[in-house]
Amino acid sequence: MDLTINGKAVQADAEPDMPLLWVLRDQLNLTGTKFGCGVALCGACTVQVDGQPVRSCVTPASALVGKNIRTIESLGSTGQAHALQQAWIAEQVPQCGYCQSGMLMAAAALLARNPHPSDADIDAAMTNICRCGTYQRVRAAIHRAAGATQVATVQTVPAAQEVSA
Amino acid sequence: MKRRTWILSALGATGALVVGWGVMPPRSRLGSPANMLATQNEVALNGWIKIAQDGSVVLAMPRSEMGQGVHTALSMVVAEELDVALTQVRLEQAGPDAIYGNVAMLLGSLPFHPLASEGGVKPTSVKTGEWIVSKLGRELGIIATGGSSSVSDGWAPLRTAAATARASLVAAAAAQWQVPASEITVQQGTLQHASGKSGHYGQFAQAAAGLAPANVATKDPKDWKLLGTAAPRTDVVGKTDGTATFGLDVRLPEMLFAAVRLSPMLGGSATSLDTQAALALPGVQQVVALDALHGSSAGFAVVAKTTWHARQGAQAVNAQWKQRGQGALDTQLIAEALQTQLDKESGFTFFDQGDIAAAEKSASKTIEAHYSAPYLAHATMEPMNCTAQVKDGRVEIWAPTQIPSSARAAAAKAAGVGTDKVVVHVTLLGGGFGRRLEVDFIAQAVKVAMATAGKPVQLCWSREEDMGHDFYRPMHAARLKATLDAQGQVQSLRIKSAGDAISPRWMERAVPLLAGPVDLPDKTTSEGLFDLPYGFQNQHMSHIATNMGVPVGFWRSVGHSHNAFFSESFIDELAAATQKDPLEFRRSLLQAAPRYLAVLNLAAEKARWGSALPAGHARGIALHESFGSIVAEVAEVSVQEGVARVHRVVCAIDCGTVVNPGIVAQQMESAVVMGLSAALYGKIDIVDGVVQQNNFANYPMVKLADAPVVETHIVSTTRHPGGVGEPGLPPLAPAVSNALFALTGKRLRSLPLAAQA
Repeated sequence: MDLTINGKAVQADAEPDMPLLWVLRDQLNLTGTKFGCGVALCGACTVQVDGQPVRSCVTPASALVGKNIRTIESLGSTGQAHALQQAWIAEQVPQCGYCQSGMLMAAAALLARNPHPSDADIDAAMTNICRCGTYQRVRAAIHRAAGATQVATVQTVPAAQEVSA
Repeated sequence: MKRRTWILSALGATGALVVGWGVMPPRSRLGSPANMLATQNEVALNGWIKIAQDGSVVLAMPRSEMGQGVHTALSMVVAEELDVALTQVRLEQAGPDAIYGNVAMLLGSLPFHPLASEGGVKPTSVKTGEWIVSKLGRELGIIATGGSSSVSDGWAPLRTAAATARASLVAAAAAQWQVPASEITVQQGTLQHASGKSGHYGQFAQAAAGLAPANVATKDPKDWKLLGTAAPRTDVVGKTDGTATFGLDVRLPEMLFAAVRLSPMLGGSATSLDTQAALALPGVQQVVALDALHGSSAGFAVVAKTTWHARQGAQAVNAQWKQRGQGALDTQLIAEALQTQLDKESGFTFFDQGDIAAAEKSASKTIEAHYSAPYLAHATMEPMNCTAQVKDGRVEIWAPTQIPSSARAAAAKAAGVGTDKVVVHVTLLGGGFGRRLEVDFIAQAVKVAMATAGKPVQLCWSREEDMGHDFYRPMHAARLKATLDAQGQVQSLRIKSAGDAISPRWMERAVPLLAGPVDLPDKTTSEGLFDLPYGFQNQHMSHIATNMGVPVGFWRSVGHSHNAFFSESFIDELAAATQKDPLEFRRSLLQAAPRYLAVLNLAAEKARWGSALPAGHARGIALHESFGSIVAEVAEVSVQEGVARVHRVVCAIDCGTVVNPGIVAQQMESAVVMGLSAALYGKIDIVDGVVQQNNFANYPMVKLADAPVVETHIVSTTRHPGGVGEPGLPPLAPAVSNALFALTGKRLRSLPLAAQA
């Protein structure tokens, strides 16, 4: 099947019910997206599909033909980290780091539709599980990045659309 | 047998094996250049430090990074002594030599009362015990990350190695420039002399090799530039762009993927496997039966072209299972058995002070309470996994492991080769919490890789397997009893607890060399009960070590994680029984424990203990020492529609010398959140041998919306560094439970709390 991942047209050899997560990880070697629970409970596998956060462990790749899939590997661009990535570093968010790709992709989708989220907005959008307890730094980093959007450094257009258009 | 007697007899037995060895000085951990990986353009100066051509530093790293910040912390220690920037230190995985063994982790298993060393001068018994275990630890060379011991263990050897390397580089420059070494200064790895001569480390590395400077001193703390600062972690960038490599991110040419299915009944095995349907699925290649390995249940693995195909195959195998030979495990029956044991047995005495019997006999009032805590799973975000390749009589593994020395031994045993034929690559760990001190998944991966004709295989457990085949924190129960005299003063405290000993079971599985024919008393069972700081005149603490058959393992902060809930909740009960404020009551009992008092006072002050709170909110406090550090926490809670909510947790910690206060704060935040998930929701039930919880739906976690604000305040001291990764966890459950009591008047004596709030 033909997929559009991080702005590139990609051929995937996948059965219709094969979740996107395993196409990314085991066929395309895009290992930044993580396996955590397999049933959409933890959010470690979060990617964006047409800008929306999607849990790739339960989403068949075949349902995403013609859509723009964006993974952590394209959150920033070469030489320019996404405002959220910069904020993540400034706030020293990650510990073990395993859940952080999913956190970042969920946060980026949130900021794309709501550039200045309230605490309640963040509570509602960020349902990913982190066993290291990085939550308060995640919150602080989203607020920090939201501040940065005012100086227009945040990339709100999915990279996939820019390239494939 | 008294506590001291068995310690000395155990140590004596060890000592008798090594007559003559005992009088030799402890083995040096400086090592030699040959201990490090031979690489081009880099010169090793000892077993820890190499200098690259560009003057940067390569550090041999024997500790696993699982979130606790150890790669950054240990890099800071050597950067300081070498006068280089933190960014100039790169890591190379340490090899298998015994110099990299974790001595401090073993020292942490000695059951000495921390108050005995409170004044800074250790009693002879403590010094003797530590000396013998240090020597033993240096010989054993167990390369492991656990027990919040990494900085404590690396503190002296790493500073010595870095200072020695620096001295030899300075000596080499002095010889070339023909100036006194004392006139050379170093900044950011650049050597300079007033004459104008300058050069970086890389230019003197060859000349420095082989020099053996004597009497090298480490820096005076007043000269530190980096240590004690909140330097940014070195691993953060890769953890924000997807490039950090965890165990599951290893990718090798021609790699296959495997999924496991183990007997759903713990300890059980398959009676038949019908693999026909599985093998007919696309992408599925073969099914490999797995025996019970290193404490795991038996089962099988399905090998396929992707993890998903392997998972599909594993579900398609029609397996028939049978219970373990000793019968089905059941947590309800185990809970009852612990109570029976507490009724009948007296247990092993870990601490005895004063005359408990006389105090109890003359009591005016007796206060007694029964506490309990359930089994818990670790639930690391990255499920268990290991990648292995077995080819031409050699074994290579890529593993997120906390214990590479045991992983190596397990891989060798599985493949039937010597350890010299095994290479272990330690990846980043997507959480550890003690689960990755086990080697079951390592042996499984090697067994599967032996069946794939030399192709590498990545073995990945499902979340369901991970939760259903953990090595669980054991269920514990305790009976606490205090007596008051006629004036209402507490005269005695007696604690009797029961639950499985972890250490002997773990040694059988992971370090069989240490496993003895009989179980010695295990400090982890009673830690957090026998070692309290409060000045009760008469104390007696004993533990009944059981072996119920459930696989039990080290879970972040181990015995402290439940025992602090028992002891600090009961202290709160005593405060209430004597009509004292919980803070004032503790203060009054800490006159001989000034470090504890300082930490308690700091937390109380920063939390504004006693100040007004919003309606429906209350505070609770708890104080606990573990892993060489003292932590006090004040939790602010409310209950809304029957749901307990923790709004804020103020932490104070004395962890001795602080390497990086930013990482200390991270670990306090981490321990609070993990401790809160356990305190509110954590519970593993086993019915008819089957673990009932299988994913995050029925083993829930605190999420961002429920997470409290965590504040960290550090007591600055110059003592030897204590632990940081675990000590924040034990006080959380009692602080929350004590706050709920303050709010509702209802005392909760069993975990988890959420259903009872």
